[in-house]
Amino acid sequence: MFRSVLRFQQPTRAFVRGLATSAEKTSRIKSFQIYRWNPDTPEVAPTMQKYDIDLNDCGPMVLDAILKIKNEQDSTLTFRRSCREGICGSCAMNIGGRNTLACLCRIDTDTSKDLKIYPLPHMFVVRDLVPDLTHFYKQYKSIQPYLQRDTPPTDGRENLQSIEDRAKLDGLYECILCACCSTSCPSYWWNQQQYLGPAVLMQAYRWLIDSRDEASKIRREMLQNSMSLYRCHTIMNCSRTCPKGLNPGKAIAEIKKQLAFD
Amino acid sequence: MLSLTSRIGLSSSRTILSSQTAALFRPILIRGIKTIPQPPGFIVGTVNDAYVPPPPHKLEGSLHWTSERLVAIGMVPLALAPFITGTSSVIDSTFSALLLYHCYAGFQSCIIDYIPRRVYGPLHNYAMYLLTFGTGVAGYGLYQIESKEDGVAGIISKVWKA
Repeated sequence: MFRSVLRFQQPTRAFVRGLATSAEKTSRIKSFQIYRWNPDTPEVAPTMQKYDIDLNDCGPMVLDAILKIKNEQDSTLTFRRSCREGICGSCAMNIGGRNTLACLCRIDTDTSKDLKIYPLPHMFVVRDLVPDLTHFYKQYKSIQPYLQRDTPPTDGRENLQSIEDRAKLDGLYECILCACCSTSCPSYWWNQQQYLGPAVLMQAYRWLIDSRDEASKIRREMLQNSMSLYRCHTIMNCSRTCPKGLNPGKAIAEIKKQLAFD
Repeated sequence: MLSLTSRIGLSSSRTILSSQTAALFRPILIRGIKTIPQPPGFIVGTVNDAYVPPPPHKLEGSLHWTSERLVAIGMVPLALAPFITGTSSVIDSTFSALLLYHCYAGFQSCIIDYIPRRVYGPLHNYAMYLLTFGTGVAGYGLYQIESKEDGVAGIISKVWKA
């Protein structure tokens, strides 16, 4: 609703702004190379398509740029996006060689270099920048990401938790499951059918240490095999790439510690 | 492993070379090996079923991991001991036994990573048998070194001086 009001006001604002500043600025043309593949023409190999954008009339983030391309140059460009503020995790893609959210990634203002945008690496591509996350969500489902209790709450109404116990969940519950970390992990590239990957394992840990949850035994037993958890070789790409600044590598290490003498 | 670009179909080698030429360049070992085809999208069952983990097995899970770490930590003082106290057959044979297990566990991890049973079926087992056989041969060799010569530390110091 507010956006429509804002858009309504734009013509006048643009006019005033245009008078004040546009004459001084020289155009800064930045080239974007974007991965294109269309499932309707499977015989055509994937290509990198080049788009030029003037950074002066574009927002600062990569998402602004690809939205601008979709609006003004090529409406067939396909990608997921929703919240444009790093809370939904839809626009995860490989930008300039790094998995990150397009909405949280600033455009490199060095116009001499092209910016390359790929879908998340080693995932099946649905179209252009849209990866198939079905298997990722199936893995998330397998860790049973919900509170499980046998006993009713002591006061009959809520499952209470001390402030210290709640603090343990900080840095874990913020994960938005954008799959940036999992798809940056070489071990996940090799064995993603069986290895759960950093994102899902971090959520597994989030439920393991929740003081209100009573299913820890089943949760731990699920990870007791060579594939689900122990394919983590502490490569740590996950913690390096996380666009939310979380640390999945540490969470996996904590699970291993919990299980060590289990 | 294939690079990122070739995995998502952007590498030039695939488009330029015909499939026959590419097959010629493939390593001889890989040619003729039949892998198990994987389900589309790696989806087993319907899209709404949860992923089913392999059955729990502590010897492959936590106990394996813990023993790997204990052996790796235990090797540090044993590797330093000969420099401080001089060699003894007890220290030397313990160290070489731990080293043998360390190498065994490391190669085991490589086999699980690169020759998974899911894709290679019985070849995974053959690789494991080969590793066990190799470890056995190396163990026999270590026994010979310990009993007939002056241990691993002795050989290293000889090579160092030579």
